Amino acid sequence: MLNVKLNAKLKISIAWILLLCSGAVLATPGAQEILAASDAVRNPDYSFGMTNTLVEYRSGKQTDTSTLAIYSKAEEADGQFRSLIRYVAPARDASKLILYNGKDMWFYDPSSKASIRLSPQQRLLGQASNGDVVTVNLAKDYQATSALEEDAQDGERQTKHCYKLEMSAKTPDATYHHIEMWIEAANNHPVKARFYTESGKLLKTAYYRHYQQQLGAERPTETVIIDGLDPNWVTVMRYSDWIKREVPDTWLQRDYLPRFKPE
Amino acid sequence: MRAMVFFGSLLLSAMAAAATPDDSDLDALNVADKAPTATEQASDWHSLVEGAFGDTAQRYGLPSYQTERLSVDLALDKTLAPSWRLIFADRLDWNWEGEDPTEYKINTLKELYLSWQIAPSEIVDFGRINTRYGVATGYNPTDYFRDDAIRSTVSVDPNSLRTNRLGSVMLRTQILWNGGGLTAIASPKLDNQASNDAFSVDLGATNNTDRWLLAVSQQLSDSLNPQFLLFGEAGKSPQIGIDLTRLIGDATVAYVEWSGGQGASLYSEALGAPSREVFRNRLATGVTYSTSNKISLTFEAEYDGAAVDSANWTALGQGPLPVYEQYRDFAQQVQDLPTRKSLFFYGSWQDAMVTHLDLSALMRQDLIDQSRLSWMEARYHWDHTDIALQWQRYDGKPWSDYGVIPQRTTWQTVVTYFF
Repeated sequence: MLNVKLNAKLKISIAWILLLCSGAVLATPGAQEILAASDAVRNPDYSFGMTNTLVEYRSGKQTDTSTLAIYSKAEEADGQFRSLIRYVAPARDASKLILYNGKDMWFYDPSSKASIRLSPQQRLLGQASNGDVVTVNLAKDYQATSALEEDAQDGERQTKHCYKLEMSAKTPDATYHHIEMWIEAANNHPVKARFYTESGKLLKTAYYRHYQQQLGAERPTETVIIDGLDPNWVTVMRYSDWIKREVPDTWLQRDYLPRFKPE
Repeated sequence: MRAMVFFGSLLLSAMAAAATPDDSDLDALNVADKAPTATEQASDWHSLVEGAFGDTAQRYGLPSYQTERLSVDLALDKTLAPSWRLIFADRLDWNWEGEDPTEYKINTLKELYLSWQIAPSEIVDFGRINTRYGVATGYNPTDYFRDDAIRSTVSVDPNSLRTNRLGSVMLRTQILWNGGGLTAIASPKLDNQASNDAFSVDLGATNNTDRWLLAVSQQLSDSLNPQFLLFGEAGKSPQIGIDLTRLIGDATVAYVEWSGGQGASLYSEALGAPSREVFRNRLATGVTYSTSNKISLTFEAEYDGAAVDSANWTALGQGPLPVYEQYRDFAQQVQDLPTRKSLFFYGSWQDAMVTHLDLSALMRQDLIDQSRLSWMEARYHWDHTDIALQWQRYDGKPWSDYGVIPQRTTWQTVVTYFF
C-alpha cells in the first residue's frame, strides 16, 4: 500500500514536472520559426551545388541506384529553391537533365535534344518524389501549427529531445497535405518526418541523419525514406561534394538546359 | 488530482512511444546502414553498343526475312578549357538483311562542334549541331533542321528518329535573360546532294541550301512558357513558328506546335512541279497525362497543310507508280506527313508492375486513308544493360499511307550495353 502511495506521489510529481515543461513550450520559439530554422540546417541560404546518390532497396535487396549532380538557388521573391539536375549515373541516363522551377518543370535528353515539359505528378526518380530530391524550404509551403516537446529516436538510434511539429500545406501546390516533423530542440536539426495524404494515409517516413560540417553548418548528409504502404521499400539519399557556387538566374530556364554541365 | 495523474501518465506513455520507432523503421534503418558510400563521378564519354535480331513478315506475296544489326554509338562532351567545350556524337549501324544476308553499313556523324561560353548568359557554338525545336511528340512542324537528317532508321519510335540523325553545320549564338532567351542560327550551303556512301559526313544532306533561324522564348507564368521562331531558307518564304506549353492541373501538360508561311505544296517540291505559293499551316497539338504510378499518355492531332488532300491522295495512288514513290520518299526525307491529317498516341509505363520493366506503345493513324502504324516495346533494364522486345505492324489498304509498305509485321529483340 505504501509503495502504491509513493508511486502515486511520484506520478503526481512527474505529471507536475511535465505540465511545467509543456508550459515551457509556450516560451519556446514559435512552431513556424522552428521549422524555418530547421530548413536553414538542411539548406544553405545561398546558391550551392552537391551530388545526391540515391540507392533503393526492396525487402533488403538493392534494386536501383542513381547519382545526380544538383545546383540549387533560392528565388529572391518567395525564398523557394529552383534546381538544375543532371544525371551522372546510371550510364543509360547520364547527362539527362531536369529543371525544377516551381511548376515550370522540364526534362532534357541530350541525345534526342528533346525538351519535354513535365507535370508535377510526373515522377522520374523512382520512389523519391520530386519534392524529396530537389532542395525545398518547407516553411515556404507549410504552416507549422503546433510544437510539442517530445523525445524521439533518430536515424542512428540515439534518443534526441525534440519539438514535434504538426504542419499543414499552405497552398494546394504543396507536395503533401500534412507533415509531422521531429526537430532536435537544442540545435534545430531535423530528426525525422512523416508525410501524409489528405485522408491521413502515411505516404512516407524520412530520417535525416549522419550530420556533418558542410558549407559552414552541421547538416544531414543522408536521408532515409521509408515507404508508408510498404516499409520494405527504402530509399537512401546521400549528399556529397557540397560546394558554394554562383547559379545565375538565367541558367534556371528551359533554354539553358542543353548548356548545363556541372563542374 | 486524479486528472493530473492521468494526464501525467498519458504524457509518460506518449514519451515512451515516441522514443521507440516502429520495428519496420528500425529494419529500414538497418538496411540503409549498408548503403554503399562511393560516389559515381561524371564521365565525358557516353557510349553504347547495341545488337538487334528481327523477323519481318511481308504482304503482297513477298517472303518473310530476317534482319540483324550491330550499332556503336559514341558521345563526348569534353571541357577543353574554362568556357570551351567540344561536343562529338557518332553512330555506326552495321546491318545484315534477307535470307542470303546483304550487308550494309551506315555511319552517322551526328555532332561535332565547339561551344564557347563568352559570359554566363552568352554562348557561341560552331560546327555540326543537332538542333531541334518543337514541343510535340509525334510530328514537329517547327523542327526546321529535320530535312534529310536521318541516314539510318533503326526504329519508328520518335525518340529514336530524333536521336539517330545528322546535325547541320551552323554558327549558333544564344543570349539568355531571366526567364527567356534569344537564339540566332546561320547554316550555310556547303554541298549540293546527299550521299549514300557509308562513311560520308553527308554535308549534302544537311547543308544543301542557306538557312537561318531566330528563336525567342519567354516564360510568362509558372504554367505558360511560349517560344516564337522565324525560319528562312534560300529561295523560299520565311516561316513563323510557335511552341506553346501549358500546365493543366498537376497531371496534364497541353501543347501546341504550329508553323506557317507562304510556301509550295509538298507535291510540287517532291516532283519539282510548278506550284502556287499560298499560306500553309502545319500543326501538332496534344496533351500528355501522367499518373503518380509512372504512366504517361500522349494524344496528339497532326495537320500538314502542304500535304495532298484526300482527293489528290487517292489520285496519286491511282496514278503512275514512280510519281507516287517519289512523293512518298520526299515526305519521308523531310519528315513531313504525306497526307493532311493524322492522329498520334504514345503511352509509356515505367516500372510496369515489375521494377525495371518499362512498357511503351505508339499508334499513328492516317485520318485520310485510315491506315495505321502500331508499335509496342517491353524493355527490361539492369545497371548497364537493356533488353527490349519490339513489335511493329503496318495496316491499311494498298496505296494507303501505311498499307503500301510491304513489311506487315516485325518482331525484334534489341540488347543494349551502355558504358
